[in-house]
Amino acid sequence: MEAPGGRKWKRLHRQPELCYPQDFTGFNRVRMSSQLPFTALKFRRLALFGAMAMAGAAVAVSAAGTAKPDRWWKPGEGRVFPGQIDYPNEQGSLRTIVVGAPLKTKGHPFFEPVGSNGRACVTCHQPADAMSLSASSAQRQWETVGPNDPLFAAIDGSNCPNLPQDKRESHSLLLERGLFRIQRPWPVKQYNGDPVTPDFTIEVVRDPTGCNSGPGRGPQAGNISVYRRPRPVANMKYLLATGFPFDPKQGYALPLDPDDGKPQSGNIMSDNRAGNLRIQMEDASSSHLQIAQRLTPAQIRQVQDFEMRVYTAQQADRNGLALNELGAEGGPAKLRDSQPGALGSIGKPVWSEFAAWEKIAPADAAKMTPEQLAFRQSVARGARVFRDKTFLIFDSAGITTQMGFGNPVRNSCVFCHNMSQMGNDVAPGQVDLGTTTLPFADPRADLPMFRITCLKAPHPYYGRVIYTYDPGFALTSGKCADVGKITLQSLRGLSARAPYFSSGLAKDLRGIVDYYERRYSIGYTEQEKQDLVNLMSVL
Amino acid sequence: MKKLAFVLALFAPAEAMAQQTGDLVSFVACPVYRDTDSGRKSGCWLSDDVASGNRYDVSQSPYKPDAGFEVLVEGRVSAEPPTACGAAVLAPVRTSRLTTPCIRHIIPAEQYKGRKYVLPRRNNDPMGVPRPAFTGPFTDRTFTTYFEFGRDFIVYQYDDWLLDQAANWIRQARPKKLVVTGFAATDPVVLSGRTLSEPAELAKNRAEMIAQSMRRLVPDIPVETAVQTGAQPTDEAEADGLPGQSRRRAEIHAVF
Repeated sequence: MEAPGGRKWKRLHRQPELCYPQDFTGFNRVRMSSQLPFTALKFRRLALFGAMAMAGAAVAVSAAGTAKPDRWWKPGEGRVFPGQIDYPNEQGSLRTIVVGAPLKTKGHPFFEPVGSNGRACVTCHQPADAMSLSASSAQRQWETVGPNDPLFAAIDGSNCPNLPQDKRESHSLLLERGLFRIQRPWPVKQYNGDPVTPDFTIEVVRDPTGCNSGPGRGPQAGNISVYRRPRPVANMKYLLATGFPFDPKQGYALPLDPDDGKPQSGNIMSDNRAGNLRIQMEDASSSHLQIAQRLTPAQIRQVQDFEMRVYTAQQADRNGLALNELGAEGGPAKLRDSQPGALGSIGKPVWSEFAAWEKIAPADAAKMTPEQLAFRQSVARGARVFRDKTFLIFDSAGITTQMGFGNPVRNSCVFCHNMSQMGNDVAPGQVDLGTTTLPFADPRADLPMFRITCLKAPHPYYGRVIYTYDPGFALTSGKCADVGKITLQSLRGLSARAPYFSSGLAKDLRGIVDYYERRYSIGYTEQEKQDLVNLMSVL
Repeated sequence: MKKLAFVLALFAPAEAMAQQTGDLVSFVACPVYRDTDSGRKSGCWLSDDVASGNRYDVSQSPYKPDAGFEVLVEGRVSAEPPTACGAAVLAPVRTSRLTTPCIRHIIPAEQYKGRKYVLPRRNNDPMGVPRPAFTGPFTDRTFTTYFEFGRDFIVYQYDDWLLDQAANWIRQARPKKLVVTGFAATDPVVLSGRTLSEPAELAKNRAEMIAQSMRRLVPDIPVETAVQTGAQPTDEAEADGLPGQSRRRAEIHAVF
């Protein structure tokens, strides 16, 4: 039996001329190779058809009913996803492309409200927000729709389900920090329900949301509520890529996927509780979507197929200039056409996409305003700072603990953000940068505070007793040594999805730089800070 | 007691003749981090042997110190001049982190530049790079991995490379089963006034750690485990001629 989506995917494969409908001019600048997807190779020979497809996509968009559809994708509205779609943001514009589009979303489980609360996957993974969700979009929905928008579903779109759901303050963490409630089992369980015996105890020190105490809530009741940002569902081939056979942070060969037996990347979820997309989908559909029954295998295939075809990145800067001009290679097309999983230190350096802007020819510079030129030069410098400005990294479990690097170790941002094109970690990226744990995390009166007591060896840096807003990976591994570890994210589409870090600690890009400066006393100059902000704004 | 005397004898010459190239040096001390900057991973690790009064550059250990804890230093005096970090160089060398806290001491680079990082020999290629091919006939063979004192962790750019080499051969040789034996150096050693010995259960933990990885690397070949305490030194090349390192090991025996 084949699902409707499965039939559609086959049909699209028979029509490769419909690939990349609005990316015709940019595509010709991309060097092709035999490693590119089948559809991309076909496209080279079918450029003429591609031009025709541009017109087709425009029709598809207008067929949705308005000349300019709202930037918010409502569940079940049946829009057609064009091959490329751009959304403005404060730093320019973001482009999302779907290989093999246009894609009819009617009946597609990523876009349909398959659960009981009216949400779809797209509710929290919005194309305008780099397939994540910004706090500003949440605020916009509150102001335009109000508490009945499925986004604010009591289950996790409010600070706690038992709060009055019509009150704005009941949704403050989502509205102000972009945080969803994530309820984890306690004691720890694996993805398949198998129990894990944790080597630590957990107590609730402070419970401002009320969701870690009271009837049915909190460790005593068998659950722990933490609050996290939704991770982008795009550029997925990079997040699933495995570069090397070992997880050096955990000291094992990579775990094997229970479905296909292949090594797992460990980079999908912030606490690594799901090692493949099927498990992630089942976790998300039962919790966030409140689906009564499990997703069918056909639905899982359909969602996975879509997720593997979506690429997103900033396409234009705040001056309105394209990020793939004058030799630069910004934008999502580069992501689509590159091989995932490469370590920047032994291959293409991370963010070298902007190296061409280090030396802009005078003739080209003359065509820009001083502000435009200065911005591009700043982006190029920012890439250098990101790679080359070293500092002492210390007391960061997963980096400075058992791997052998020593504590401290001198390195730069690319030590961890090391994958070419994406800036996530080639190895499974569970590290503790202190963003959720004292004393490094900024004070947060709006989040619950937990006290962890290690029962065996103390944590190498925090000691036997740890105070944390979110134990992170420890809620998956059950290990005290993993408290505060959060899987590194990719750095693409940042301008579309503030705030940042899993806890929403940094409200803007400057907040990211400022956190690292506080955490590691890096000594960035003001110019370097601005260069890094400008770099991150174009990723 | 006989074993203790043997092990002590291994270390005794090192204390007495630490100044000759190739001599073995072993001691326990707090590490000092010299903040040299020749790019990534270029910092210097130093440690002082209080018995001899010598400061050594121990930066070339595959597992480096934590500035907040004592280290067990085991190394050989190198002919390399002390220009990179400002101390006599031990190479090869190992620096096992112990649990005794130290005052974290970070000193400036002063006139020293450290060493520019280069990829070590024991560095895995990406998974997409073809591994060496072997032709049979294949017979029983043993592969060995090594550990930090008191730990069972697979060290990056050391053990992972050794395991990758083993897995590549095993995939092609297709042995009937693997027997992973974990060793622990349970015989006590007195160094710098400390009596050091590994717990017996560490042998089991090491066997399990390696067995778990082998089950993932070669999932269709059965893996059994065994333990051996009172581990004695070997002359295996990948222990770099350091007796202490060779004792802290696990052996993967491919059985046909």
